[in-house]
Amino acid sequence: MASNNPRIEEAREILKKNKIVIAGVGETEQGKIPDKSSFHFLSQASKIAIEDAGIKKSDVDGLVTAFSLVEHTFMHCTTFADYFGMRPRFFSSVAVGGATAVWMVAEAAMAIATGQAEVVLCVRGDNTLSGISSSGMVALIREMCHAEFEFPYGLTTPGGYALAAQRYLHDFGATREHLAAVAVTMRKHAALKENAMNKEPLTVEDVINSRIIAEPLTKYDCSIISDGGAAFIITTEDKAKELGIENKLAYLWGMGQGYSHQYLTTLHDLDQIYNAINTSGQKAFQTAGIGPSDVDMAFLYDCFTITVLLELEGLGFVPKGEGGPFALEGRMEIGKDLPVNTHGGLLSQAHLGAMHHVIEATIQLRGEAAGERQVKDPEVALVHGNGGIVSAHSTVVLGKEPLS
Amino acid sequence: MAENKSYDKPLPEFRPETKPYWEGTKNHELLIPRSKESGEFFFYPRALSPGEDMSENLEWVKVSGKAKVWTYAIHHMGPTKAYKGEPPYVVALVELDEGVKMMTNIIDCDPHDVKVGMEVEVVFDDVTDEVTLPKFKPVK
Repeated sequence: MASNNPRIEEAREILKKNKIVIAGVGETEQGKIPDKSSFHFLSQASKIAIEDAGIKKSDVDGLVTAFSLVEHTFMHCTTFADYFGMRPRFFSSVAVGGATAVWMVAEAAMAIATGQAEVVLCVRGDNTLSGISSSGMVALIREMCHAEFEFPYGLTTPGGYALAAQRYLHDFGATREHLAAVAVTMRKHAALKENAMNKEPLTVEDVINSRIIAEPLTKYDCSIISDGGAAFIITTEDKAKELGIENKLAYLWGMGQGYSHQYLTTLHDLDQIYNAINTSGQKAFQTAGIGPSDVDMAFLYDCFTITVLLELEGLGFVPKGEGGPFALEGRMEIGKDLPVNTHGGLLSQAHLGAMHHVIEATIQLRGEAAGERQVKDPEVALVHGNGGIVSAHSTVVLGKEPLS
Repeated sequence: MAENKSYDKPLPEFRPETKPYWEGTKNHELLIPRSKESGEFFFYPRALSPGEDMSENLEWVKVSGKAKVWTYAIHHMGPTKAYKGEPPYVVALVELDEGVKMMTNIIDCDPHDVKVGMEVEVVFDDVTDEVTLPKFKPVK
């Protein structure tokens, strides 16, 4: 899929020349883990990723962090650099909600390509489940919607996604079962992942009959909240060789962003969301020189079941309105048409934005997923994150081999 | 509607540029900002038109308050403790005849009677002495 955009062609040349790679990954235990602070998780995850790469802490010269929902800091990246004891020559805090982890990869790649750093640690961690106060939770919900023109009507975060879901059901004649099927597939995958919170089997009926949160969404349409940390290390193939990194490398083939709205009030129609997802995906696809049919597995942001359907369709894996039947027929399962979130995603594994999506894509491309969880010989992975209420999107395409 | 001085649900914090809107609702008038340069309505209110014109030359237009439900979500859990024990309520995005969308509550009907495309009209809920929230009810 060639692009007519000279900037995209140039981006492709930059990625081909630099051979940006994910060279190490680390995840702490995920779940309800009281008595550990946000910065504890960040440090643990960083250590595990550095050890996974087999490098020294002092080899790391760049740092990308995100934010904490529990421990608010004005300059998150440098606060963590101090805590962890490092003096990076490149540092940045990425804060685009659920699009953050995916964009961390891009942020690190851009820093490396412009000579800011050579080995960039990207890390997120938080004690969201154990550490957040009820007032902190209210503040978070208030921030997710317009404090003046939406929050006074009692909008909740699941409610925001329920508004999108209800319109989706209306526009396409989709059903409750279509949404529920997404949660069922995520649960099946989580059962195969060691470090996952919710593994007990789930049926479409279980999802529909679970506690109603905001119709049409029930409890199991909503992602879990967890404590934990996760990190990955971005460098170049050359630097990885120089440092003696023995891991198989996951190569960055393309990246993109797309934006729809911050507040649902300014959403014109569902096409506005699809266009944002598509803009994000197309930039990544065109830079990679591939299309949706070339992707072996997708890691889609599943904070709520509806987002997976919108992303499947917006990215062009299936036509608009056909994500539901695709999910219900089990076609997102490992071994089927397009394995999605083989680690169980935010709905069943753990919630640390898309950190685990990036990490699982890397583990799968390395061929190191345990047993049945391993997708057969995957060569290309797509990771998509969504921040806000399906508002801010970012995509990366990763390959098992260098971009050619 | 009756005033409720013990109202403990979230209230809007007014910004300088949104004051005319809230003064309007207090007078039971729905005022929507429009750029005098482009003639375009927009919502939520901002100091500058969010259109290409970026105009500060705005006017507040009293509108009929007729709208259609664009989407809705029946909330069984609210965002704060104040909602505990309350029956399910409808948060909706309605599209005004003027083309802009507003978030609101659909009241005066069974939540399960709300449908996408349903015709609704504005009603004013004086939740405190200072704040009146525009809500919508089905057109009979």
